[in-house]
Amino acid sequence: MIRKFLPLLFIPVALVSCKQDFLERTPVVGATEANFYQSPEDALSATIACYNTLQQEVTNIQGSSGLKPHFRWYFGDVISDDTDKGGSGDGDDPQLYDYERFQGNSSGQMLLVEWQVAYRGIAYCNLALQKLPEIEMDEDVRDAYLGEAKFIRAYWYFNLVSTFGGVPLVTQPLASTEYQQPRADDVEIWNLIKDDLTDAIETLPLRSEYSLNELGRATRGSAQALMAKTNAYLGEWESCYQVSADLVGEGEYTLDPDFGNVFTEQGENGPGSIWEIQYMNASGGNWGQQLEGTFSNVFQRARGQFNGFGFNLPTQDLVDEFEDGDPRLSFSIFQEGDVMGDRGEFTQESTGMPHLYYSRKYFNNAADEAPFGDPNPNGHTNDRVMRYSEVLLFHAEACLNTGRASEGADALELVRRRARGGVTYNPMDPQAVLPFIGAGDLTVEDIWHERRVELALEGHRFFDLVRQGRAAEVMQNHLDEHFPNGGYSFTAGVNELFPIPSNEITLSGGLIAQNPGY
Amino acid sequence: MRILLLLAWLLPLSGVMAQSMAVTGQVTDADDGTPLPGVTVVEKGTYTGGVTDLDGQYTIMVSSPDAVLTFTYIGYRTTDEKVGGKSTLDLTLSADVAGLEEAIVIGYGNQQRSKISGAVGTIDLKDATSVPVLRTEQALQGRAAGVQVTQNSGQPGSTQSIRIRGTGSLNNAEPLWVVDGIPTGGIDFLNPSDIESISLLKDAASAAIYGARGGNGVILVTTKKGAKGQPAQVTYDTYYGIQEPWKKMGLLNAEEYAILMNESRASAGLVPYAQLADPSALGEGTDWQDALFERAPMVNHSFNFTKGTATSSTAIGGSHFAQDGIIGGEKGRFERTTFRISTQQDAGDRFRLGQTVNFTHIERNALAENNEFATPVVRALNMDPVTLVSRPDGSYAYSELIGSDIANPINQVATTHDQWMTNRFVGNLYGEYDLTQDLKVRSSVNIDLSLGSQKIFLPSYDLGIGANDPNRPAYEWREVNGLIRNENKWSNWQWENTLQYDKDLKNGDRFEAIMGYSALYGNYQNIGTYRDSLNSNDPDLAFLDNSLNFNEQAPNASGGFGESSYLSTFARLQYEIGDRYSVSGTVRRDGSSKFGANNRYGIFPSLSAAWNLTEIPWVVEKDWIEFAKVRASWGRNGNAGGIGNFDFTSVVFNGQNYTFGPDQQQVNGAGPVTTSNPDLKWETVDQFNAGVDLDLYRGRFNIVLDYFVKNTNDMLAVVPVPGVVGFLPAATNVASARNKGLELALTYRGESGDWDYDVTGNLSVIRNEVTGLGEGGTPISTGGVFGAGNDFSAYTDIGLPMAMFYGYETAGIFQTDEEATANMAQPDAVAGDVIFVDQNEDGVLDENDKTVIGNPHPDFIYGLTTNLKWKNFDLSLFIQGSQGNDLFNGIFRYDLNTTNLPVSALERWTGEGSTNEHPRITHTDANQNNRVSDRFVEDGSFLRLKNLQIGYNMPDRILEKMDLGKLRFYVSATNLLTFTKYTGLDPEIGSRGTLEIGIDRGFYPVARNFIAGINVTF
Repeated sequence: MIRKFLPLLFIPVALVSCKQDFLERTPVVGATEANFYQSPEDALSATIACYNTLQQEVTNIQGSSGLKPHFRWYFGDVISDDTDKGGSGDGDDPQLYDYERFQGNSSGQMLLVEWQVAYRGIAYCNLALQKLPEIEMDEDVRDAYLGEAKFIRAYWYFNLVSTFGGVPLVTQPLASTEYQQPRADDVEIWNLIKDDLTDAIETLPLRSEYSLNELGRATRGSAQALMAKTNAYLGEWESCYQVSADLVGEGEYTLDPDFGNVFTEQGENGPGSIWEIQYMNASGGNWGQQLEGTFSNVFQRARGQFNGFGFNLPTQDLVDEFEDGDPRLSFSIFQEGDVMGDRGEFTQESTGMPHLYYSRKYFNNAADEAPFGDPNPNGHTNDRVMRYSEVLLFHAEACLNTGRASEGADALELVRRRARGGVTYNPMDPQAVLPFIGAGDLTVEDIWHERRVELALEGHRFFDLVRQGRAAEVMQNHLDEHFPNGGYSFTAGVNELFPIPSNEITLSGGLIAQNPGY
Repeated sequence: MRILLLLAWLLPLSGVMAQSMAVTGQVTDADDGTPLPGVTVVEKGTYTGGVTDLDGQYTIMVSSPDAVLTFTYIGYRTTDEKVGGKSTLDLTLSADVAGLEEAIVIGYGNQQRSKISGAVGTIDLKDATSVPVLRTEQALQGRAAGVQVTQNSGQPGSTQSIRIRGTGSLNNAEPLWVVDGIPTGGIDFLNPSDIESISLLKDAASAAIYGARGGNGVILVTTKKGAKGQPAQVTYDTYYGIQEPWKKMGLLNAEEYAILMNESRASAGLVPYAQLADPSALGEGTDWQDALFERAPMVNHSFNFTKGTATSSTAIGGSHFAQDGIIGGEKGRFERTTFRISTQQDAGDRFRLGQTVNFTHIERNALAENNEFATPVVRALNMDPVTLVSRPDGSYAYSELIGSDIANPINQVATTHDQWMTNRFVGNLYGEYDLTQDLKVRSSVNIDLSLGSQKIFLPSYDLGIGANDPNRPAYEWREVNGLIRNENKWSNWQWENTLQYDKDLKNGDRFEAIMGYSALYGNYQNIGTYRDSLNSNDPDLAFLDNSLNFNEQAPNASGGFGESSYLSTFARLQYEIGDRYSVSGTVRRDGSSKFGANNRYGIFPSLSAAWNLTEIPWVVEKDWIEFAKVRASWGRNGNAGGIGNFDFTSVVFNGQNYTFGPDQQQVNGAGPVTTSNPDLKWETVDQFNAGVDLDLYRGRFNIVLDYFVKNTNDMLAVVPVPGVVGFLPAATNVASARNKGLELALTYRGESGDWDYDVTGNLSVIRNEVTGLGEGGTPISTGGVFGAGNDFSAYTDIGLPMAMFYGYETAGIFQTDEEATANMAQPDAVAGDVIFVDQNEDGVLDENDKTVIGNPHPDFIYGLTTNLKWKNFDLSLFIQGSQGNDLFNGIFRYDLNTTNLPVSALERWTGEGSTNEHPRITHTDANQNNRVSDRFVEDGSFLRLKNLQIGYNMPDRILEKMDLGKLRFYVSATNLLTFTKYTGLDPEIGSRGTLEIGIDRGFYPVARNFIAGINVTF
């Protein structure tokens, strides 16, 4: 009997020696970096992952469990003279309130999330750019994917360099010994953007080459438009002219005849849409998980019965910028007494707040709200990042700056004519609006004015003011008028850029230097 | 070797053959002379033995007239008696009052209390069952020094957090549960009245035999098994109880609310809301707390059968427990049905085998709890009192004043259908064989299979007035109904083999050794589905196939799989020098698939020693000292509880989707989210313990005192990486913390005439400190509170206890505008706003001015139990408390400026000199008066009369007529009285995560309940 039982003692030993892999367990659902990036399907998924970060406008960042917003319109509009922060009061996102008055410092979470999300997006692009060339697949498809990754990388670096100036230049996944990176000169960042866009223009398909269900993918046109914008920001007007002329000449885009249609759900990815960040209203998102919806709808809707948070309130100054009778005003801004879609009439009483204006470009009807899940993070409205009218205005500006005034006037008129409702300006008609501006009268201020009203509330204004070299003047006036007792000042040479998040300076081991003046 | 073994086996047998003789006798209680049934009588050094019958009589064949008989009986002192040629041997056994000989369950064995050299606490379940406990964790609360048990919610069936000797990890600080040798995730599945005893392995030396999983302490549960020779016994316990909320918060009534809201609007230049224009017409308004809370019943039936024969024992148990919630009644119902068989058999003299089968069925309905967004509690406390619960036509009303998260809580309860159902099977089979008298081998196989099923039905509803009411807030209607179904399966097995050698040496010393191997494997699988547009809004008809949405994307399905394994070897050596010294050493080597390839195995040693002072002449002289022992131990454990299955690798996650095209088609994106860490390993816990055990005055007075220092190193923490890395950093083994403390447990037992009483008290003082966060590690901010500026309220940094409350210090209220304007750091402040302290005096109020504003850890915790018996009556009183801990009151949604407010808002600042405590009411709050500050930190100390119980035992003469063994009636009240200064609904607030301690975001309060019950033994 003893002999029968003694082998028992050795069974666990056998277990150890025979089954060496008893302690080797690897994930079988999903994959690890080591066994992914094998098939053409993997290549597509890796490419789509580059897009995913674009939707992360309210997101978790490293070291924080809370969701932090960093909308494009925070930077482009709220900071500028076009809008006020809004919300339930000054204490609702107080950091944004600080930046709006140029009182913010480098410790704000809003800048940290802007920085981290941009580099998160860049990391996925870098990973795709590193891994895709090793995958056996159709060359043309791969080149198109690489073009998408390069375009998105350029987009993130564009946001970074226009917000912070020179930033660390990271073009491949970092090993743990390379985590601390110094700032690169802003010229190096701009050069990377131009190199990436040059490649992307080469390899990306035309918009018309994509199927309907692929609308929203980066196109040759998106790369050309971002290149034109890059050239404009750098004052490289001849290059800007060439690339915008190419885009216009290729005929891929036209202006939607109805300006009012552009910001409706039907107007998404419309004929004049060059680069839109896509959102959907039915992903079941909740506050912990943004999924595919946007928060811009709920953030910008009025409070009270409109169930919004009431951010991004247009200023009187912006309203006054619209020429008399410009139909675009009512499609851009709600004024008291307007009916806000199917949500009822806008009165101060119905919003519970004393504000006179709300942005309309991100307004969604209650009927368009998420059919399930939490409607707040499930807004459908795509972010119109670049529209054909903006390219036309860059083209006009490039023409004017390169002695092609009549071509520039034509481009400007295309934009104004559409705004007018597609009719030619008739000076005899007392009801006519938006006078024609001929080549002889055309000034750069005309084009800048047109940008402000055509692209109002789309996140461009502050960066335009900086690019145009008049941020100090315009913003100081705005601060003085808007906060008469504040004594706030915009410091030229400082406030054109935001401070580098102090957290990132610390984590870089001091390799990153702060922007001057912060 | 084999010959030796054979000899050892044959020798006693040959003795039997030589000169056997019969001995008979009666065993009685030394105190009162009553016969003792079930006493084990064994001839020392042989397998020959017997058990006394109901009259205490035994008969045994002994091998020689010089044989020695050993009499053992639980609760009595083991006694050796020489036969000395007599054929009749009567004996009296005296009770082991102080429990010196009590066999204490330790890891992989038992040890006499008087010999234990580590810090092992025990819970006497004989006491705990007389006070009904709804959950096993409750049996630990306030009953053992060094153990803190807090409710994570008062909702029936919700978990409780247990901290043995402080919070020893930033990640998972929950101890390991081991039931009859089986590590089980949690203890939900066991009916508390199936438990015989609980041992708490508190110091590292005791827990080191559990190696990489013992770092947070180990709770060993021993279930009822029945004993050999024990007569059949059937017990039936039942009780019925009523639960009710014990407290209501003081909130504004409708009139007061309207006055304050009008003031608030006026502060922003707004006219009053029309509904609030005439406050005096509004009166009391709606009391949402009355509307939400209700009295809720609970009921328990528990059945137990035990029986032993000379060679076997059996225990069978069955129970049913149901408890409704004080919110939502059956919408918060927890039901547990258990069934259990445990048997042991002797197969010959040397071979024993045993089996245990547990089956548990749990059904739980749950309402959202403990967050500030969408729970019935937070909604009831924040909802304005002007809104009615329901309109005259019976439909639920919505608030026209507050939108956002604060929806009608009563409608929320009515439209919540969230059910969890768990079926769990835990089984064990073991065999034990004596190779020799001293050496035995044991093999044990366990399986633990748990099937968890979740059904969440989301009905459509609409609180709008008429169709498409444009004014109804977002949370007050759901257009399309939907059904979520999740199926989860956890399966684990463990195979363990041990070899044990126990030897009484000739010189009176004793040697014990055990060594073993263990293999453990577990996996988890799940399937989740969702469909919308069901054909009915009836929750009973909520099945996926009733969906009318035939869109090909509509059957939304997901599923996953994860697994882990452990492989371990372990050994313990124990040497006792007479009764005076005992020394023990253990070592365990653990490998786990959860650890990174570079750190697959860890070694966990320990050493402990005890010195019995009772035999020192100086002590012997003091006849008031019954027993005295000093002990010391050191050990090292691991904590792997916070490590996920594949945390060492960088997983590529699908679902990083993007939407394209007018049809909003989602396309899958995939990529890693975090960096990988092939060095990942357990957290290392080193602990030193020193203690004294004293029994005085013939065991009436018992003192246990322990001092410990517990250092956790290699603690997993996420050290931030620069944003340019792009991925989230993986946790690395970099941080460290220390817990040190003092534990005191006192017991006094006495009797006088018909009175019997005992008093047991315990007190624990624990100091927690973070000692490192790794190079480049930054303080950890946790505990985001939305109502307070959506900022973090807790902060963990080097040199501080974990999760301290952190924010702005206040210095009163600006009494005049001049005073406010003069304060450069608060440019937006006006009279009536809060003054925040500019700690660094740089003229700017920012993150750098935040400071520690409170400590969620108590100065000490304590428990006191008194049992009193008089004739057939018994009374027990149990007090439990916590002293010196702070709570963060984050109940109110100040970010929404129209919520209801606590009555303290009536004392708001209204003009110079009105108050220096409560700020003005303001609509826009430009000064951010409601940012995270010491205004929200309150003293959370409490003393609670946890239980008061009065019982009556039917006298024996009546029982005999009724043919019953025991019949007891009792009434009991739980949480009867609570003394606290805390203003929220309940001061006993657990943790939502390890680093979120004592934050009240609208905590589901613990109920007060009244119970009447019967215990019957046949």
